[in-house]
Amino acid sequence: MTQSRESDHPLTTRPFPTARPSGCPFDPPAPFAEARQECPVSPLRYPDGHIGHLITGLRSARAVLGDTRFSSLPPGKRSPVKVPGSELSTDVLPPGMFVNMDPPEHTRYRRLLSKHFTIRRVRELRPRIQEMTDRLLDEMEGKGGPVDLVEAFAKPLPTLVTSELLGLPEENRAQFGHHVDVLFSLSSSGEEMQESMTLLGGMLHALIAAARKDQGPDILGRLTVETDLTDEELLGITFVLLIAGLETTTNMLGLGTYALLRHPEQLAALRADWSLMDGAVEELLRYLSVVQIGPIRVAAEDFEFEGRPIRKGEVVTVSLPAANRDPLGFDDPDAFDIRRGATRHLAFGSGPHQCMGHHLARLELSIGYESLLRRFPGLELAVPAEEIGLREMMVTYGVLGLPVRW
Amino acid sequence: MQIEIDKDLCCGAGTCTLVAPDVFDQDDEDGTVILLDAAPGDEHRSAVEEAALRCPMAVITVG
Ligand code: HEM
Ligand code: SF4
Repeated sequence: MTQSRESDHPLTTRPFPTARPSGCPFDPPAPFAEARQECPVSPLRYPDGHIGHLITGLRSARAVLGDTRFSSLPPGKRSPVKVPGSELSTDVLPPGMFVNMDPPEHTRYRRLLSKHFTIRRVRELRPRIQEMTDRLLDEMEGKGGPVDLVEAFAKPLPTLVTSELLGLPEENRAQFGHHVDVLFSLSSSGEEMQESMTLLGGMLHALIAAARKDQGPDILGRLTVETDLTDEELLGITFVLLIAGLETTTNMLGLGTYALLRHPEQLAALRADWSLMDGAVEELLRYLSVVQIGPIRVAAEDFEFEGRPIRKGEVVTVSLPAANRDPLGFDDPDAFDIRRGATRHLAFGSGPHQCMGHHLARLELSIGYESLLRRFPGLELAVPAEEIGLREMMVTYGVLGLPVRW
Repeated sequence: MQIEIDKDLCCGAGTCTLVAPDVFDQDDEDGTVILLDAAPGDEHRSAVEEAALRCPMAVITVG
């Protein structure tokens, strides 16, 4: 495998930046803008010394994600920063983990799963999601402030929705939530993660066995009846749905609420006219771009991309926060403006791996934000902003906690 | 306005349906795009062009 040397590049070779500017926790790390100004495709140094590429421009990001010469297969793929849990990933591809596959294998899974995430199916879920949301808000209100919004709302809502989609019995949901929590937590040790992984695997195995027997209306029940997917494949698929759908939505709910509280004039406009909600969700998706490390791809062959030589084996990391602040894609990109009509963002990625759950995510976010804000007209931070901890070193950006009162 | 789509490449996530529901639908079996109207009137032009721009697989061609 050929590896490029630093001297090949006339451009600055950077490590992947993670530190957010001190003034604004919502702005991407400053070196991304410098890199984009030099070139939207620039050299990137990985922790093991590998030199690959960093994508910071909107157009280039869309092009990379839509070009299957940039492969999603694991061999040689590496994270541009060491993040908790990254040591758990391996070069072997477990069955059903279609995020790490290329077409046509990848396409087979998408075709089997997409019917459960179409706009029509997702809209049918609205009343149930509203019910779950209202119940969580009742509990919050009953407890009285201050509460940590992440623990009381942002985490449990996506967990409840996903549990229901997968057909997880009510009595197992708390335990399920706990294991997912450990897997995604900054403070878990490697041992704790391994243990939760094993226990969660056991729970999901039991769930799949029950789905085969009961053949219920939930996704797993349908998949056992309508497809020939094996138990191992179903396990992989379930893990993908958990990894892809929970942390992302949780952090959008938490960080999104924080962003609204820090922009009172925007929040007031929204409270005065709820029809701005869909636009606000799009702008929050763009402005916050919580998937902050990756998507990551590996060049499957030598070729030229936007005038730059790409060699087989080189690892390419797309920065969605950077792409979504590209001045060539958005006027005044660093301004948070819920009325800008920011629909062409890449918060859900692009190409064959574009988020399969985007309709569901949009629905959870619009119901979540609106119900929360309507319930608590006086919602505010319960601590000074400087005390809000941030998830700088995680794949998904967000707040560590969000103490609020009303 | 004439629309063509390449269904084989469609990723089935239905961004087109979100943007231009009068013109695009999603197949209930595999999520892929269904072209409801291959020659919609001009009142749909901006929505269709938006859908073509946002389609993650760039499989919508507007002529
Ligand atoms: C606001 C919340 C969400 C954000 C920001 C988000 C973002 C993303 C992004 C950027 C990708 C592309 C990954 C890549 O190219 O390698 C992706 C893929 C995916 N997302 Fe989401 N997502 C969200 C919520 C959800 C939800 C609720 C689900 C549904 C359970 C979901 C299911 C998936 C799946 C299955 C994939 C993998 C698709 C594939 O590899 O073909 N996501 N998501
Ligand atoms: S937006 Fe494009 S890829 Fe997605 S469903 Fe529509 S045609 Fe298919």
